Amino acid sequence: MNPLVVSILLPLFGVGLIALLADGSRVVARSVALAVSLVTLYWVVKTVLMHDQPSVNDPWLTTGVFDVRFNLGLDGLSLWMFALSGLLSVTAILVSWEAIEERGPLFYSLLLVLEAGMLGVFAARDIILFYVFFEFTLIPLFFLIGIWGSEQRRYAAVKFFLFTLAGSVLTFIGLMAIVFLNGRNHPGEPLTFDVIEITKGIAAHPLDAKHQFWIFLALFAGFAIKVPLFPLHTWLPLAHVQAPTAGSVLLAGILLKIGTYGFLRFSLPMLPDAAVTCMPWVLWLSAAGIIYGALTALAQSDVKRLIAYSSVSHMGYCMLGIFAFNRPAMQGGLLQMINHGLATGGLFATFGMIYERYHTREIKDLSGLAKRIPMLSVMMLLFTFSSIGLPGMNGFAGEFLILLGMFQRGYAESPPVMQFQWLTITVLALFGVVLGAWYMLWLYQRVFFGPLKEPAAHGDAAHGPATHAAPHAAVAHAAHGHDAHGHDSHAHDDHAHDAHGHAEEVLPNPLGIVDLKWREFFALAPLLVFVFWIGLKPQTFLAPMQPDINAVTDVVQTAYARHVWPLPATETAARPAADGVVVNRLIVPAVIESKEEVARVR
Amino acid sequence: MFNKIESLTLLIPLLSLAATIVTALLGKRWLKEKSHWPILVALILAFLASLQLMRLVNIESENAGPGGFSQVVRPWQWAVIDDAMGSGKNERNLVLDIALRADPLTSIMLSMVTFVASLVVVYASGYMHGDKSYWRFFTYVGLFVFSMTMLVSGSNFLLLFFGWEAVGVCSYLLIGFWFEKPEAAAAGKKAFLVNRIGDFGFALGIFLIWTTYGSLDYDTVFNSPIVGGTIGTAIALLLFVGACGKSAQFPLHVWLPDAMEGPTPVSALIHAATMVTAGVYMVTRCTPLFAVSEIAQVVVACVGTFTALLAGLTALTQHDLKRVMAYSTVSQLGYMFMGLGCGTLAGITGGMFHLFTHAFFKALLFLAAGSVMHAMHHVIDMRRFSGLRHIMPWTFKTFWFGALALAGVFPFAGFWSKDTILGAVHDKFAHGAPGNYQHVYQWVYYVGVFTAFLTAFYTFRALFLTFYGPLKTPAEAHHPHESPRSMTVPLIILAICAVSVGAYCEMTHSFHHYLWQTPSLTKGAIGEYGAALLHDHKGLPFHMDVATMSTIVALAGIGLAAFMYLGKKDEAEQVAELTSTKKGLFLYQLSLNKFYFDEIYNALLVWPLRLLASLSYFVDRYVIDALVNFCGFVPRAGGALLRSLQTGMVQFYALAMVLGMLVLFGSLRLTAIFGN
Repeated sequence: MNPLVVSILLPLFGVGLIALLADGSRVVARSVALAVSLVTLYWVVKTVLMHDQPSVNDPWLTTGVFDVRFNLGLDGLSLWMFALSGLLSVTAILVSWEAIEERGPLFYSLLLVLEAGMLGVFAARDIILFYVFFEFTLIPLFFLIGIWGSEQRRYAAVKFFLFTLAGSVLTFIGLMAIVFLNGRNHPGEPLTFDVIEITKGIAAHPLDAKHQFWIFLALFAGFAIKVPLFPLHTWLPLAHVQAPTAGSVLLAGILLKIGTYGFLRFSLPMLPDAAVTCMPWVLWLSAAGIIYGALTALAQSDVKRLIAYSSVSHMGYCMLGIFAFNRPAMQGGLLQMINHGLATGGLFATFGMIYERYHTREIKDLSGLAKRIPMLSVMMLLFTFSSIGLPGMNGFAGEFLILLGMFQRGYAESPPVMQFQWLTITVLALFGVVLGAWYMLWLYQRVFFGPLKEPAAHGDAAHGPATHAAPHAAVAHAAHGHDAHGHDSHAHDDHAHDAHGHAEEVLPNPLGIVDLKWREFFALAPLLVFVFWIGLKPQTFLAPMQPDINAVTDVVQTAYARHVWPLPATETAARPAADGVVVNRLIVPAVIESKEEVARVR
Repeated sequence: MFNKIESLTLLIPLLSLAATIVTALLGKRWLKEKSHWPILVALILAFLASLQLMRLVNIESENAGPGGFSQVVRPWQWAVIDDAMGSGKNERNLVLDIALRADPLTSIMLSMVTFVASLVVVYASGYMHGDKSYWRFFTYVGLFVFSMTMLVSGSNFLLLFFGWEAVGVCSYLLIGFWFEKPEAAAAGKKAFLVNRIGDFGFALGIFLIWTTYGSLDYDTVFNSPIVGGTIGTAIALLLFVGACGKSAQFPLHVWLPDAMEGPTPVSALIHAATMVTAGVYMVTRCTPLFAVSEIAQVVVACVGTFTALLAGLTALTQHDLKRVMAYSTVSQLGYMFMGLGCGTLAGITGGMFHLFTHAFFKALLFLAAGSVMHAMHHVIDMRRFSGLRHIMPWTFKTFWFGALALAGVFPFAGFWSKDTILGAVHDKFAHGAPGNYQHVYQWVYYVGVFTAFLTAFYTFRALFLTFYGPLKTPAEAHHPHESPRSMTVPLIILAICAVSVGAYCEMTHSFHHYLWQTPSLTKGAIGEYGAALLHDHKGLPFHMDVATMSTIVALAGIGLAAFMYLGKKDEAEQVAELTSTKKGLFLYQLSLNKFYFDEIYNALLVWPLRLLASLSYFVDRYVIDALVNFCGFVPRAGGALLRSLQTGMVQFYALAMVLGMLVLFGSLRLTAIFGN
């Protein structure tokens, strides 16, 4: 059987298995879910590594006029997101292992349905099929948030659902418009919904610019909400804060990327002229989102909400890269989608483990955890570093390419009137990197450094859903016992060499907090492997995506050249400059000439 | 597969990386108090490898032509983007390699880093003895050495940036090593963030280099025709912003003094000898880019000079021995930039030479300060101890050597290097040298000489306050003692270096000639001496007048310190006397409070941004989300309105139907009338 089909059907098969075997037992349900997701991951990896990418193209709803097909296939745009969906699903099941205590079978069934939806949405090559999977991801997450979420879970779930649905309905109308308008160019043939066919068809017969614009807006409604692009982001912090850990991981890791993927798959190649028209708006919104998300994150007192706002900021980089319309930036943008999934997925997963131990999300309730849970702190630190774009880790690779590309767009590939605003956007985005380090390291400092402070034990260890996790601000031994316990730290600080007595010191542990467990280690370790792999050799991941992303780039770049800025191919002949230094013809962009700066170039 | 030079270039970073991994994995469970061994062995091997590399590079340089010598090894490609600028001619491929190079500049830095790091590790094995996280300390140190060696051996701007941020992270981790102390955790974060601001400029500089030269590789960029003018100046200045962050130059110098919260061996290794000199290294490396812009050179010189003065003035009144040293480091780094800012071969050589000698004597001074701290039970306030020469003879003697070297007294190391810098600055205006900014360099020179005076004064103030006077120890130090041998031996070795390194290099001209074989220097350093100097085996001319001047000034500083602190009055009385006038008090407060930079930055940057943060969160909840909820409310309100009509009373429905019919027919009638 086709490995693509196998990967997508396996999770659904797992749902059936859970229904048959679990019989209300969460232990059985989670074991089955883990086994199924691991087997799925095996098939996903196998698919991704195949030299000749498999594809399926069977008639599905083919009724004479409509040619809707069961059409699956992967290419450079979807390959890594498909793989990441398989990987993060395993992580999501592992982080729920003990956290989910009620209605286990239902929970894991929904997770598996969600996995099938995520895999399908990236593999779908038929517009109807894409839309079906697109909505398919929505419903399980709605229930995951609504049933297993925190205090305001219903409100969050409904808001998430309505917000996303409202956008996706418009998206559907837009996609249908593309299908029908494309169909007009092929009268007499059955109406094709094949994404590849339509892309080709539109490349041959571009849509009318006016149509393009309205369709772009319709698609934008759905995709920009999904990303989420500022100011359409308010559902996200709420959903993240209320969602169970697994929900947050998958939401941040995969579901947001459906939005950026939609832009890359539909909006840009099919509506290039409208994309160029809307480019300044999208870029400004992205830059605004980067800064605004970062600043808002700075003001948070809730760890999950802080990470959620950091997502708004980081997804701004993806959008910035995609809408810079040149190769470095767009490849960086696509890479950054994976990076954000790994880093933020990892952050949510790690913090979920901490939440499981302390049942509080409030920053002020926690302090000095590096002393209590050193290994978990190391994990959190690594994901923090990944998130703030440290070279050698994945975040840097993406951000570097995006910002380099955006700078290049502003400096060398745009008319003088636009240079200033593009460069302003670049500088703002670069400033977001500084802010990003600020809020993440500040979070880390407050929660993990300083004297140890843990929330009071909160009643019965065996408790229901996470709802009664209301933080008991009365802090066990930190507020009052600072002297008692602080003594250790002071002795340690001030008399490092005299600390023999403390070397074997045992911290009192009234809550019975344990450090990283093996299960948790295996949930996070694969993410870290890729964090470093992408950081040290992004080429491994760039190479397979390059042909397809470059094709998209060429389409929009040509449109940009048509509308805004002709490629300066002929103008850059070598010319001697004022004092005889030969200006390399690669060097000085032709733009400078028009800015009358050439006189100042020695 | 790789030839000798290539293998050594790869081996040096890999050794410390391997040691780091071993210590990280085995440290907690198995190595425990032996955790320093893997990294120590690795560092000694790396040092030997660096010496060997230096020798091989030297041999190759002798054979190389006037272009200098370098060799690059490229283990793998990081990222390749074909046709990245979309001209369709495949000329502007973005090729980013993991590429390590061997050339004289790199091998000097490698030897210096691995040498000082080895000594610091030996020292730290005594200093950190008994710490709970002994293994963690050496893991971080290993990681640092790895990053630093990557920084200096990287052969493109990407790897430079990689090392740049990686050493920043190690610095963050090591400053915050005792993370339970809130000040340490805060200082680590501050260091990282201030460096990020520098990196902000650095990154823009890198982007501009890419768009200007179509490559980020050193060799490609430096061998292209260098672009001057506005763009050249912009590139140089943006790179310099990065250098300011890492090398703690005004206005980004505020993180370094706070970084003293870290363990003292770290202060010696990272915040005095190696990491903070990365900026100097970078500017030296990019000499060709700075050489085309006189404005950039003047800015570098002025920022360096101003920082040197500012830090020197601040150091005068600090009570904390380590902070005196920290400000002294900032000041000396300023000196190095003063030299680099000359843009002449002499100036650049002087800057690098000072970097080299400074590494030894400043590491020595820090380690000696650490030794004092160790004995005083982590009390470092000079008001609380004195007369320590009686109980800590070795620390005392080695501190003397370090102090003389820092003060620039003949024939100690600092004398030679500082003299080279001042001589280079002097030449910029004295001997009818070409250039437009002679008067600026004149001021740079005078301020430089004055700062030499300050340096001598505050160094000896620290020496006298700590080691002279009646024996006084703080109560915490139950039984003050000389440090163990693991700590004194590195001190002695460094003291020997502080005495001899400068004179040796100056007498044999070996340092200069070796350095001048660096390709980017031979290409970029256009100066009064020109290429002729490179190959006749003479050193830079020795400036007797400048040397005399600076010696007099240094001796005057020492004399004044001796007069003030060896006399009968103690410091408190002296200060009281000085601050009796309003002006004196003002100046004293200014210096004591570090010119209020932290307060100013808090008021101008930190708080406004945090206010803005709160504001945007407010907007998020009460404006944007409120709008969204309003949109959600409209259909619901509409529904509610319609729902209220569903009364369930049949009569009401009947009435509504009748009324509806009437309206319908009525409207039809009306259309019929007016329609015709």
